[in-house]
Amino acid sequence: MKSFSLLKAVVVFLLLVVLHYTVRPLLGTRVSVDFLVIAVLLTAVHVRPGAAAVIGFITGLVADSLSPLSFGAGALAMSAVGFSASWLKAAVFGDNMFLQAVFLAAGKWSFDVLYLVAERRLGVGDMAVQLLLWSPLSAVLTGIVGVLIVLTFRLSMESRP
Amino acid sequence: MARATRSGTRTDTAVLAACVALSLVAMVLPAATRRSLAGTIRETVVGPLIALQLQAERARGAFVSRDISAARLDSLVLRNADLRDMEHENQQLRRLLGLGARLRTGFVAAEALHRPEMGDAQTILVTAGRRVGVVERSAVVAPEGLIGKVVSTEDATSTAILWTHPDFRVSAMSADGRVFGTITPHLGEGAERFLLEMHGVAFRDSLMPGTEVRSSGLGSVFPRGIPVGTVLRDITASGAYARSYLVRPAVMPADVTVVMVLLPVTANLESAWTSPAAADSLRLNVNRHADSLAAAARRDTMPRDTTRRP
Repeated sequence: MKSFSLLKAVVVFLLLVVLHYTVRPLLGTRVSVDFLVIAVLLTAVHVRPGAAAVIGFITGLVADSLSPLSFGAGALAMSAVGFSASWLKAAVFGDNMFLQAVFLAAGKWSFDVLYLVAERRLGVGDMAVQLLLWSPLSAVLTGIVGVLIVLTFRLSMESRP
Repeated sequence: MARATRSGTRTDTAVLAACVALSLVAMVLPAATRRSLAGTIRETVVGPLIALQLQAERARGAFVSRDISAARLDSLVLRNADLRDMEHENQQLRRLLGLGARLRTGFVAAEALHRPEMGDAQTILVTAGRRVGVVERSAVVAPEGLIGKVVSTEDATSTAILWTHPDFRVSAMSADGRVFGTITPHLGEGAERFLLEMHGVAFRDSLMPGTEVRSSGLGSVFPRGIPVGTVLRDITASGAYARSYLVRPAVMPADVTVVMVLLPVTANLESAWTSPAAADSLRLNVNRHADSLAAAARRDTMPRDTTRRP
């Protein structure tokens, strides 16, 4: 039973990575769902913070490979978000759908903040617009889609024992 | 039990610290090493994902162009009554399609993958690499003009910076080859960020708004004659030693999904992009020289009064 759950988690993780590179370009909008963040956050809930940081780091590196000029920024942001998500989920709340959406949205927004600060590409004005307008919209969308994925695949958001 | 928990927490923190340290190291690596590392990941682990992204963008392009195609068809049906308009549009389309034919050799066609979700994109991934002859510093162009420059290459893909990138530079000239300068991105806020600047124009020269700007070929990075943009206005600062102009770019990179990467053999492309402005300028020059010749001929044929000389 435990191995089945692990297999399901791995399949869902890989599916989310594939969705990130298929659904997002298909929509092509500035407000978009970050399936990689959803994948890392859903995994982070079930593993130790250290493991979540490693998963985030690897996922971030994969994302960074497409933008070599900001190589490392995504890995840094994703490691921190994965670690924090694992730690927070264990400490703060349980299986509530609204809180799950808030959790996923906050994770996405935090990722954007860390990424843009680490990347140091945008000016102050553009960064403010990105972080106060586009990122919150993307975060809300990511939160909603994340909850739909949890419901669709009947994933447990209960933290590790 | 409590000791084990504390030990686990310490281990987790150490792992996080290691990940953060590795990320920071990756961020401060030399650009060439970063590009090489990213290229290795892209060509191995992420390769299949890029292929999926390419398919998705093609699907989106087909979906978007369906409406455009339908609108064009409607327009053509309406314009069918007016053959002259249709011929004009036909000529325009032929010009676009004909760029590749005029270039003949020395380019590879590729698709451009954007990454617009985090602010403004400054780089694109081009689906052509070393295998088809793309090298670093190859120019990336569209039928309308210059888009950017390749900064790193892998076997099947390349990374190019767009003209919006702060490091982008191109030696430029007016379309008639009279005025020279250097094009850089205009690093303004808001909509002005999508403009260019032409610096280093000598004070004895001036450019009128609407003048077409092309690559000059100086510096051997970009071939001569690629359209870069159109002069908008003079932005020379007081006390500057050279003139500066604001330039509207010929191409908005976000609109481009198919590009041409010029290979190093390409030398002069002035004939590849026909320019009405350059043609007008040429016609004016020819007229001016013809007037001069006519005036000189009149002077030569006038009767000379030499009898009164002592």
